[in-house]
Amino acid sequence: MLASEKTVAGVSAELSEGGDALVIRVTGNFDFNMHREFQRAYQNLSPSPKHYCIDLSETLHLDSAALGMLLLLRDHCLGDGDDPEQCRVELMNANEHVGRILTVSNFDKIFTIR
Amino acid sequence: MVDRFRVLVIEDDGGESALLWQLLDDCAEARELRPLRVSLVADMAAALAGYGALRPELVVFGPMATPRASAGDLEQLRSRAGLEPVPILFVLSGGEPMTSACLRIGCDDILLKPYNRNLVQLKLAALQRFCDFNRRLLAQRDRIRRHHADLLQEQAGARHIFHKMGHESCLDQTEAIRYHLSPGAVLNGDVLTAAYGPGGKLMLLLGDFTGHGLAAAVGAVPLTAIFYSMVSKGFSLGHILRELNAKLHSVLPAAMFCCAAMFELDPHKGHIRLFNGGMPSACLRRRDGNLRLLESRHLPLGVLDPAAVEDAIVHIPVEQGDRLFLCSDGIHEARSPRGELFGERRLLEALSAERPAGELFDHILAAVGRFSAHQHDDLSLVEVALDNAAPWRGAGWALDGEQSPKAVRIGDWSINFTLGPEELRDADPLPLLHSVLAQVPGAGSFQDPLTIVLGELFRNALEHGLLQLDSALKGTDWGFSEYYRQLHRGRRALREGWIRIALRCRDRGGRGLLEVVVEDSGRGLPERIHSGNAYSGRGLPLLRAICRKVQIQPGSSRVRAVLNWGGARRVRRKAGAGGR
Repeated sequence: MLASEKTVAGVSAELSEGGDALVIRVTGNFDFNMHREFQRAYQNLSPSPKHYCIDLSETLHLDSAALGMLLLLRDHCLGDGDDPEQCRVELMNANEHVGRILTVSNFDKIFTIR
Repeated sequence: MVDRFRVLVIEDDGGESALLWQLLDDCAEARELRPLRVSLVADMAAALAGYGALRPELVVFGPMATPRASAGDLEQLRSRAGLEPVPILFVLSGGEPMTSACLRIGCDDILLKPYNRNLVQLKLAALQRFCDFNRRLLAQRDRIRRHHADLLQEQAGARHIFHKMGHESCLDQTEAIRYHLSPGAVLNGDVLTAAYGPGGKLMLLLGDFTGHGLAAAVGAVPLTAIFYSMVSKGFSLGHILRELNAKLHSVLPAAMFCCAAMFELDPHKGHIRLFNGGMPSACLRRRDGNLRLLESRHLPLGVLDPAAVEDAIVHIPVEQGDRLFLCSDGIHEARSPRGELFGERRLLEALSAERPAGELFDHILAAVGRFSAHQHDDLSLVEVALDNAAPWRGAGWALDGEQSPKAVRIGDWSINFTLGPEELRDADPLPLLHSVLAQVPGAGSFQDPLTIVLGELFRNALEHGLLQLDSALKGTDWGFSEYYRQLHRGRRALREGWIRIALRCRDRGGRGLLEVVVEDSGRGLPERIHSGNAYSGRGLPLLRAICRKVQIQPGSSRVRAVLNWGGARRVRRKAGAGGR
């Protein structure tokens, strides 16, 4: 069937060796259907990572529900660190379309975008 | 009490039917299945007659009845069962070969005589599991159906409420505004509000809440309430946005927010102030077809508190023939049957099409509709003819036709206000004055002109008296924005100074005088007030059009304006059309 031609949508996460950085990669359309998987990727990690990288290189589209999920991650990240400077959420490798959605929403003001 | 497994046996031979009954009962007991309730009928006619009352979960044709059963009989039985798939078994005597007739007639399974108890037990157990599974499935389907019906009813209720809330808007009162909201706009999270503030300023907001359904719709309730309440009290764009942002931030869950484009049109001064937080670029189309995109410069409302909305507001002078287009991302995300997105490029093409100005709106909608083959409509589009959106037509206010011409007693009174640097830095004194005046009987009849006069005099005292800004800057597009940047910066840096506002009213039996005096602690107006400073722009002609008298003294920081009512209290429209 066509399944082999399309990348399978999903979320994968990889923790750095020291456990202080988490890379979350979102493949396909980053929308409301991803919310369980996305939250599962960063919740219940002990100790909590200090640094979150969202790898958007395989993300085709991103909607406002996804922006909301990023805000939840940000709250999660700010919530358990005493020092807001200590915690960082980075969005990286966004394609042009996804990058535009992030700038239209001015999310570059609250997230580091690389 | 256990629900018995209902079995209908069709057999006219008494011995055979008794044997079957006993066999099935024994098998159910041996396997500890649901106990049976077996009903015996002699023929098809009796079976069909009793079907509704018996509601069997399994039908068995006995050995004598089986050869007489036809495909039509089975069809009738199945149609009585409706959606429920009730298995039908045939009993074949051992000697008989299993003919293809059974298959052709279409029974679901067969029992062979002489009966093999073990086989019958297995079959009965499998059939019960099948029926139980099916029963649970149907129960779930019914529950989902009920929930869905409830949901539709709740949504209808929500639509009704939002429809009523929209009645406060001025959207349908002016030809200058055209709008399209998808039928499901409320439940898509789209919201559109518009109202005239005191003095004739038009405020309009197009918002888009995250998500779908009721959750997206409820956010519109506080937004709408705050919008209409603050606009009618004369609050400024920045104030309303800050209030909306703070409220949405406190009530919405963290993952929810509202993208919004909102603008304020001052028809007297001929400019708009526009805020865009997370919406697709608004588009200003000039008369010559040139487009200016006003992109998002702020986070959506409700994401962060506090918000720095003032820095994101752009100021644009309005020219004749200007049209402003706002839209939700439904246009950009409309898909063609092949899955392509409509996108900004196609939207800009549609916007710059060479068409009579009045046809653009329909042209854009038609272009999106053709592209997406009219598949789904969840887009919102608003067009405002900026040079025609003032609330008055000709010589009178268009929106207060109800106003009674008969004189109202207003009384003799006076009010004095002094605002210090703290208040001047970010407070908005006009709504405060309005709330005081709202208590004065009859004040409503001169609210609009008074708002304009107070607004003009207050801004003059602030911008030119205290902050010493130069209106000549406003001559170019760049300077226009720069002027407002300087105003915003200067205001935030205010450490000293004051503005005093005095209102005095004298009632002369239905005709009266209202005196407005505004003074500030600045150095006073320069000598040459008519050539490029202070009241150089539209301010003075506008004041002169509304007031019976305007007194400005060069070298003094005191301005006195006198309004009368009971006679002419209308804004002469020409005043607004002068050079800026």
